[in-house]
Amino acid sequence: MELKIRKNGENYIIDVNGEMDLYNSYKLKELVMKMLEKKVERFIINLENVDYIDSSGIGALIYICSTIKKMSMKLIITNIHGSVKKVIELTKLMGYFPITNSIEEAIQQMDE
Amino acid sequence: MENTYLSELKEIKVDEGSPLFDKTNMFYKEFPSDFRQIRYFTLLIVQTAPLEIKEINLLEQQISEIIKNAVKHGNKCDPERKVRVWYSFSPQHAHLVVQDEGDGFKDLEKWNDFNRKRLELLSRHDFENLQDYVSYRTLLSDDNDGGNALFAALEYWNGGFVFNTKRNAVAMLKKYPQKRQGISVE
Ligand SMILES: Nc1ncnc2c1ncn2[C@@H]1O[C@H](COP(=O)(O)OP(=O)(O)OP(=O)(O)O)[C@@H](O)[C@H]1O
Ligand SMILES: [Mg+2]
Repeated sequence: MELKIRKNGENYIIDVNGEMDLYNSYKLKELVMKMLEKKVERFIINLENVDYIDSSGIGALIYICSTIKKMSMKLIITNIHGSVKKVIELTKLMGYFPITNSIEEAIQQMDE
Repeated sequence: MENTYLSELKEIKVDEGSPLFDKTNMFYKEFPSDFRQIRYFTLLIVQTAPLEIKEINLLEQQISEIIKNAVKHGNKCDPERKVRVWYSFSPQHAHLVVQDEGDGFKDLEKWNDFNRKRLELLSRHDFENLQDYVSYRTLLSDDNDGGNALFAALEYWNGGFVFNTKRNAVAMLKKYPQKRQGISVE
């Protein structure tokens, strides 16, 4: 799994590439925690290039989501598709996570 | 009636006499409890499944969760302890029995209570209180345990998800909808 950070105005977009599985999901968690320490306030997690997620990946997203909520920062998860979407649906978390269909939509929602 | 049936289905059962434990004509493989090889072992099993049920990695993911639980919670990643897997696949079904050498899922009833609460909050769209029910954790859970795999498992294994009496073996069945020749029914 590879993580890349891009900046768009106040928004930090994290592009996740590869598999969010039991061996590497912690990396995303660690990255977000580091960014929070550096006072980043707006996160967009882009899952466009993620075709596989397991419970550790879902767990990482839950952890990130609840931490950011508690700190009153902003998070949007975007471009969820394929089996990633299926797993989130099976876990019934589609309504729990803040989700948009595209990065553009995410940026728009951030500004609302 | 329909409702009782559904809610009855959505819980983890303990029933060693369940037909899901009948291993006749199933393939068999066993593995050491090596955490680093969980996805590899899973692939060895899933590769025998027909293409149509391997749909977008979901079957693989669901099986790896059960093997991970056996390796980690059951066998405590002790390489001396084995995970035993019986499996059978067809275009219409996936059937597995996964057994470890651990003390068993003792808190199964607590998990069912927790999950019932979770489903209740979901049906009320109570996302505020859902916060405390998105992850099932015990004193033994570590940072890498998501605490959510079995929520999805119970939804995925629509033909049943049943433990043996000792609770160190779980049998599961997924039934796939029949697709008519030439017509794809989505
Ligand atoms: N084979 C097993 N032996 C003993 N306990 C088990 C077994 N399988 C599951 N459990 C118990 O069930 C609980 C829930 O399992 P589940 O897979 O949903 O979550 P998890 O393993 O803690 O995290 P993750 O979501 O990352 O898999 C575990 O915390 C464990 O206590
Ligand atoms: Mg698990």
